[in-house]
Amino acid sequence: MSAFKRVQQWATFARTWHVFDCKWQDPYDSAQVIKKYLMGLHKPIYHPTNDCGDVVVCINSRDIALRGDEWRKRAYFHHTGYPGGASWTLAWELHNKDPTMIIRKAIYRSMKGNLQRRHTMERLFIFPGEDVPQDIMQNVTNQIRQLRLVPTRLDHIPEEEVQKYPKVMDYPQDYVLK
Amino acid sequence: MSVSKINMAALVRSSFGLFKNSILNTAIRSLSTSKPLNIKEIREHKEGTKLVVEAVSLPSPRKDLLVRADNIDLPSSNCEHESSVKEPCYMCALGLDVKHTDVLILSQFVRSDGCMLPRRITGLCRRQQKKIGKMVSMAQKAGLMINLTPAWCKKDPKKRKDYKKFNTYFDEKTIFWKRIPDQNDKWKR
Ligand SMILES: [Zn+2]
Repeated sequence: MSAFKRVQQWATFARTWHVFDCKWQDPYDSAQVIKKYLMGLHKPIYHPTNDCGDVVVCINSRDIALRGDEWRKRAYFHHTGYPGGASWTLAWELHNKDPTMIIRKAIYRSMKGNLQRRHTMERLFIFPGEDVPQDIMQNVTNQIRQLRLVPTRLDHIPEEEVQKYPKVMDYPQDYVLK
Repeated sequence: MSVSKINMAALVRSSFGLFKNSILNTAIRSLSTSKPLNIKEIREHKEGTKLVVEAVSLPSPRKDLLVRADNIDLPSSNCEHESSVKEPCYMCALGLDVKHTDVLILSQFVRSDGCMLPRRITGLCRRQQKKIGKMVSMAQKAGLMINLTPAWCKKDPKKRKDYKKFNTYFDEKTIFWKRIPDQNDKWKR
């Protein structure tokens, strides 16, 4: 085997580390993307018995965004196994308790429930904020593109830019500004 | 006796209403003495011994920045526009795809306390007024226009209560839906 072929073999089967910024991202939509990187579905060499999945580091999981009224409508079910042990936790209550749990459960549920799933989940790191340990961050070589644009708050735009922005609405002649 | 009493009360009430109108009516309040309140401005100057107070209506501060469909060349300019068809309002004519995150556009339709302006002031058609109004409330719920809120409002969205402190985004497609389907309904039989 030539030296080039040997390096190509290493590069093909090496694990790549990806980072994903969850700020203002829908966890259920981004789970469909993250899952592909975790399982290695984005690689041409993918096969279910081929261990080619990558590592994904999710940051800012505290700032995920849910659509509409899902924070108070979506419930997470848990049963202790004992009679009367059922409990339903709303999404915002769960996010208060553990800000990484919603994105973790979304990715876990997006994958097929086979024996491989638990091992694939071991390759997922989730951090509620931006501070990631150095030994994890030094491996990261790729960033997964965000699905939704992070919206800009009006008070973060400079005042003169707001004033200079083209106007669509004009006040009527005798309007009293409030 | 009682009848005349009622008449008296009605008279008093109606005259009070007239008095209240004379103070609070927009046409008269536009002669307000505080300067930043209005497009009309109060100017005082002396001519000899007389003090002249006059109200000058000023041009709107938005006049130079105003964008209208007939001033710009839209790619799909409807030249075969029939006269029988009602003229579209300025937002329909512009044909912008406004999202609830476009706070620079939405903040133009809003008072300084973040309240949507009524249709007689915005001059929109009913559909656009409904659409813009809903998107303003979406932006407010998402905490994107917190500098345009009442004074008693907690300005930081993260300091809100319960589910309101977390980030929320909205789907503009749901604006004209009669009923937004519940996610839990798909499990029902
Ligand atoms: Zn219209």
